[in-house]
Order: sequence, then C-alpha cells, then structure tokens
Amino acid sequence: MQIESALLIGVLFGCATYLILQNSFVKILFGFVVLTNAANLLVLTMSGNPGGKYAPIVGDAAGPLVDPLPQALILTAIVIGFGVTAYLVLLLYRIFLDQNTTNAAELYEDQDTSEHT
Amino acid sequence: MNWTILPILLPLLTALLALFWGKPSRARRVVVACSAGVQLVLALALVTRAYHGETFLLNLGNWTAPFGIVVVIDLLAAVMIALCTFVALVAVLFGYVELSSRIEHPLRLPLTQLLVTGINLAFCTGDLFNLFVAFEIMLIASYALLTLEADDWDVKQAFPYLAINLMGSTLFLCAAGLAYTLFGTLNFADIALRSAEMADDPRVLALGLLLMVVFGIKAGVFPLYYWLPNSYPTLPIPLAAIYSGMLTKVGVYVLLRVFGTVLPHSLDLVHQLLAWLAGATMIFGVLGAISRNFIRGILSYHILSQIGFMVLAIGLFTPLSFAACIFYIIHHIIVKSSLFLIGGVGACLNRTDNLDRMGNLWRHAPWLGVLFLCQALSLAGLPPLSGFWGKYAIIVVGLEKGAYVLVGACIVASILTLFSMLKIWNSAFWNSDEEREVCLWDLRWVRMSWVVAIMVVVSLGIGLGAELIFRVAQEAATRALDQEGYARIVLGYVGKGATPAP
Amino acid sequence: MNGPRSYIFNSMVRLAVFLVNVFALYLLLRGHNAPGGGFIAGLATAISLILLSLALGVQEMHRLLRFDPVLLAAGGLLTAIVTGLLPLLVGKPFLEHFNFHLHDVPLLGEVHVGTPLLFDVGVYLVVVGVTCKMIFVFAKSTQGLRALVAEEERRYSSPVEQPIEADVPRAEAEVGNQGKEKTHAD
Repeated sequence: MQIESALLIGVLFGCATYLILQNSFVKILFGFVVLTNAANLLVLTMSGNPGGKYAPIVGDAAGPLVDPLPQALILTAIVIGFGVTAYLVLLLYRIFLDQNTTNAAELYEDQDTSEHT
Repeated sequence: MNWTILPILLPLLTALLALFWGKPSRARRVVVACSAGVQLVLALALVTRAYHGETFLLNLGNWTAPFGIVVVIDLLAAVMIALCTFVALVAVLFGYVELSSRIEHPLRLPLTQLLVTGINLAFCTGDLFNLFVAFEIMLIASYALLTLEADDWDVKQAFPYLAINLMGSTLFLCAAGLAYTLFGTLNFADIALRSAEMADDPRVLALGLLLMVVFGIKAGVFPLYYWLPNSYPTLPIPLAAIYSGMLTKVGVYVLLRVFGTVLPHSLDLVHQLLAWLAGATMIFGVLGAISRNFIRGILSYHILSQIGFMVLAIGLFTPLSFAACIFYIIHHIIVKSSLFLIGGVGACLNRTDNLDRMGNLWRHAPWLGVLFLCQALSLAGLPPLSGFWGKYAIIVVGLEKGAYVLVGACIVASILTLFSMLKIWNSAFWNSDEEREVCLWDLRWVRMSWVVAIMVVVSLGIGLGAELIFRVAQEAATRALDQEGYARIVLGYVGKGATPAP
Repeated sequence: MNGPRSYIFNSMVRLAVFLVNVFALYLLLRGHNAPGGGFIAGLATAISLILLSLALGVQEMHRLLRFDPVLLAAGGLLTAIVTGLLPLLVGKPFLEHFNFHLHDVPLLGEVHVGTPLLFDVGVYLVVVGVTCKMIFVFAKSTQGLRALVAEEERRYSSPVEQPIEADVPRAEAEVGNQGKEKTHAD
C-alpha cells in the first residue's frame, strides 16, 4: 500500500505543479485543487498501515485500527482548502472581469511596479 | 479560572460583535477600540507576569498535553502578543481618524480583529498543526482585507500573494505530516524530547529544511519574497501598518520557536543556510527599496531587508543572537508600522506618496518631519535609537562567530537603508518646490500625527530604555532555547515519558 | 435564472430538499460517536440549498432568506464559542465538555446528549451560512445580478456585477482598460 500511495501522491504533486505553471487561470485553479488534495493524501499516508496497531485507550480492541489523528488533521485541512478555493475562484473571476483576460502571462507581462501610487 | 485563552478569544468575540453590529457607526468604533485597549492591557499583564517567571498553560477540553491541544504563553509569546495588540490598537485608531465612519467598509473592523485572532493564536499555540490552523486563519483574514477595498490593479497584485501563500500552506501541511511520521506527535514539547534522540537522523534534517522553506515564505526570506513588495502597497494605510508590522514577523517568530524550542539544536546546515539567505535578503531587499519611487513601496522592500537581520540572528544561533533577534523584532514592529503611518500622513497632506510629486512637508509640518526622522534613523540603526542596539548585538555575535561577509552585508544594508530614507526625506520633506501643494486645510493630518506620535514615543522609549528591553529579550531567548524547561512545563515530565510511540 | 422552469424538476427538488435535510439532521445527531458531525451535515444542507437555488432561482431564494447568510455563520461561530466558554463558569478549562445519559425519555427511550452536540450545531450553522453565501455570490455574479449586500457593494463589488456572458463590445472595454492604465502609470 505504501508504495502505491507514494506513487499516487508523486503523480498528483507532479500534475499540480505542471498545472500551476500554466498560463490559463482555469488550469492554475485546478492545479491548486489537485495540490491541496495531494497534500491531504500525503498526510493520510503518513498515518501508516493499520496492521499491528491498537487503540491506546480502549485496551483490547477488536482489530487493528487506523490512527485517527491524521484523519482529523485532513478534515481540518479540507475545510480550510474549501474556503480558500472558493476565495481563489472568485478572485480569479474578478481579475477576469477587470482585465478581460484569463491568461496569467498576458496579465503580468509588462507591469512596472516601481512607480505605482 | 484560567484566562490563558483570552488573547485569542477577545479579538474573536470582538470580530463577531462587529459583524453582528453590521453598519459602521461611531458606537461600533468605540466598542472595538475599547476591546483593543483591553486586549493590550491584558497582554501587558501577561508580559509582566511571564517576566517574573510564570508560564501560562491551558489544556483545551482538559486533555493533557501530548494528546490534547495546548495553549502555551511563555515570555516570548507574551511579548509578541503585546506587540500585536499594540499595533492593532494604534492602526485601528489611525483608521478612525483617517476615514469617517460613513465611508468605512463594514467588514474592515471584523476582519482586522480576525487577523489579530489568527496572529495571537500563532503565538500561543503549542503544537505544529494548530500553528497551521493559526496561519490559515491569519492568511484568510489577510486575503480578505487585501482585496476588500481593492481596485482592479490591487486585485491583480493580490493573486501572487495568494498563490505563493497557498503553496506555502500546502508545504506546511506536508511538513506536519512528515513530523507526525517521524515523531508520532505534533506537540512542540513532545517533539523536542523525541527529536533530541534522533538528532543525527537525516529525516530530521529534511524536516528542518522543509520547515525553513515554509516559514521562509511567510517571513519573506530571499528567493521567496516576490509576493510581498507588490501586494503590501495596495493596502489602505492602517492595514498596511498591521501587515508590515505583524505578518512577516509571525514567520520570524515561528522560525525562532521551531529552531529554538522544537527541533534539535544541532541542525548546523539549516542554520548556516538561514544565515546566508538572510544576508542575501538584506542586500536584495534594500536594493529593491532604492529602486522604488513611492513611500509605501520603499517601506515594503525595507521590511524584507530588516527581515534579513532577524533571520541572520536566528541563523547565527547563539543565546545572545536569539536575544538580539527578539529585541530586533520588538524594535522593528513598532518602527515599521509607524513609518507606514507617517507615510500615510504625508500622503494625506500631499495627496500622493509618489516622491516625484511630494514636497514642502518640512516647511508646513515640521513635527511630522521630526517623527519621520526619529523612525527613519532608528530603522537605519543610528544610536541611541532603538534600531542601533539590535544591529549592534547582531554584529557582535557575527564577529564572534567569524561570519565577516555577513557582518559586511549588515553594514552595507544599513548604509543603503539610510540612503533610501534620505531619499524620502529629501523629496518629501526638504523639497521646497512651490508647485507641490500641501493640503494643510485637511485637518485630519493633525490627529493622524498624534496617533503616530504614540508609536514614536514607544519606539523612543525602547531606544532609551534599551537595557530593560534587552533584559526581557535575553530572558525570553533563554527560555525559548531551554527545550527541557519548556517540556517540563507543558508535559510535566522530561525524558522518555509514559506515552508509547504509535 | 430566467429560462423556462420544469414542473417535474421543481416538484422533485421539493421532495429532495426535505429528504436531504432529514439526512443532514441524522448526520448531525450521530456525529459524536459515529461518522457524521456538524461539517458534513452542513455540507448536506448546502447541497439541498444548491438544488433549491436551481429550482427557484437565486434571487427568489435570497428573498426567502431575508438576511445575509454571513450572519448565520457568525451566529454559528458564536454558538460554538459560547459552548466552549460554558465550562469556564464552573471552573473547568475552555472547551471542556459534559455528557448526560437520559433514561426512559418518552418516545425516544435511552438518549445520550452532551455539549459537543451544541458545538456541532455551531459548526453546522457556520458551514451552512458560508456555503449559502458562496452559492449566492457565485450564482448571482455569473448571472449579472447584484451579488452582495448593500453595504458591501459600495466599495468592491462593482466589477462583479457584470454577467459572464455579457457581450461587452471589445473596443469599449479596451478603451476603459487603457484609461485605467493611464491613471496607474502616473
């Protein structure tokens, strides 16, 4: 399981990086969505294989248990990612409305920030 | 009754109250300002009690430390909370004076208080994952404030800020996962105990490097600072003061905390890397500042250059350099915020902060010039102002350690800082071109200057009472570096402990 | 949403909204000891709200709701904090919780309740409020409606009011942009 998860996470991170480096807003947006999910999956894999682990408090558990803490962490991270993604969507939409473009390269092409007031 | 939760809870409740209140009005402003004042008093009380040896600890929901969430306020955290609430109070007051309540955005006050909540939570959290949550609360509030009153140009600048911080947050989450696999815990004290035995493990080094990148992004260390100098100038002045004072310093604080209290002290590679990156940050930051031609832009780049000094102090990694770093943070937060506010007063008088069109301020508003000079010279590090003592201590440690190149970089950066401050001085204050109009009839500037004067007085106090402040900083540094003492307070035991690794 | 409405869709949505919300309540109540909880229940309710907005149209929904959903979220947050604060009154630390086991309640029999449920209700309200606001803003801004409440609008919403499909004459838009660039250049 570990090897497969590691591969999957690697592929997801690779895809996310590729997408974020694109010019189109939509691709950048999807890149961030994939990136958050890849990170969540990484944390999930960190909890490891349930084999040979038992709940610390209950004592004699019926069977092996997965560590619940990373799952709680992921839930929190998902909630945060949800909010930030919603914000990102609207920010990109607003930039599109303002600048009439969805191309990041075009948007930041010839900006001179040294004298803006 | 345990009041340790209050520095987080008070701003949060204030934010909610302001949100329910809805329409901006004078009464709402008074209530928020009162709350900010109460927070400041509370924070100062925490500092005095922490200085006399107390550490505040709260186990949320009565779950004991390595299992539950802990809130720990030691001297370092208390000092940071006090600074944060002070800057927030002054910035809020400045905002009141700058805009009448009729044209205030209804979400500005709630979001500012939410920002303070996030920052305070980052200071007093006792485990890595809550640090992540605190960062996110802080960042989400900062995203919202950044685009709240933005025009199309500002929104464009907000995107790199958002993108880089999202990337940083993701890496932070990965780092938290890695830390959990390595140590089986996320509690700072517990990690400190467990990692002491694994100090030679290359995975600990990898974790250290990853955390360095994450907090480097938040603090704006050399290759990762692109998001900062273009986004900060788009903010309204009082918010820019909070951002410039607090947000990057949260990154520096966490670097202090993580490399001082949490990870083993033997990660020499990381420390050296930090020191060299800090040197690069100083030089590039100050060069950027020279290239800009408007006050907010110059000051934004100066944040980076000053971050370089603090991170260098962390990278040198001796108790004295940690104390110097803490002293420098205290000095820098107040000086930088007040400079932004002074720039705001100047912009209010000249109706622009573009240096090509400013001028005549010294003739018409000399007291503003005095305030500016105090803070600008302090930023550059002239004795006896507050900036000098921090820089002096850092350079002393640098010479002791034999890091001559970095010390040279410090001195060059200071001189260039002075140069760019003189650039502002020459064109905004001394320029006596009659065409550059000064709108003295806009009486807001008088009250704005009074608000700034509060900060300048505090800053002067830090410079003149440097001995006391340095003693506080030294005490905070000693305690932050004392991993066993920290663990004894948080966990109640030192050593292997009773908990089996998962 | 101005297109023709489907009668079948509307009636089905009414049923579905009811069922989804019952399920959300179920998730909320079992959340303490089993999979479920405030967040997931809130998302279920949010799904029902999306369905409802498809059937009724967002404008109509906003009219039905009558207040800014952000207040709902704020109320939820307040509920959660107050739940956390209650133990302080009896000298316990923040967020400490209490459970009660009630026997022989009419109709229900054995009931297990506790303050975590109250906290979960707070979370539920936050999630519902926030997602509801998101739906309103997204749906309305892409349809060219006024997306925000009156006070928010004054400052930062004006560009969001253009519909995504609006056929803004290209030349006109470019002239506008150039004008803006000029003001930035100086």
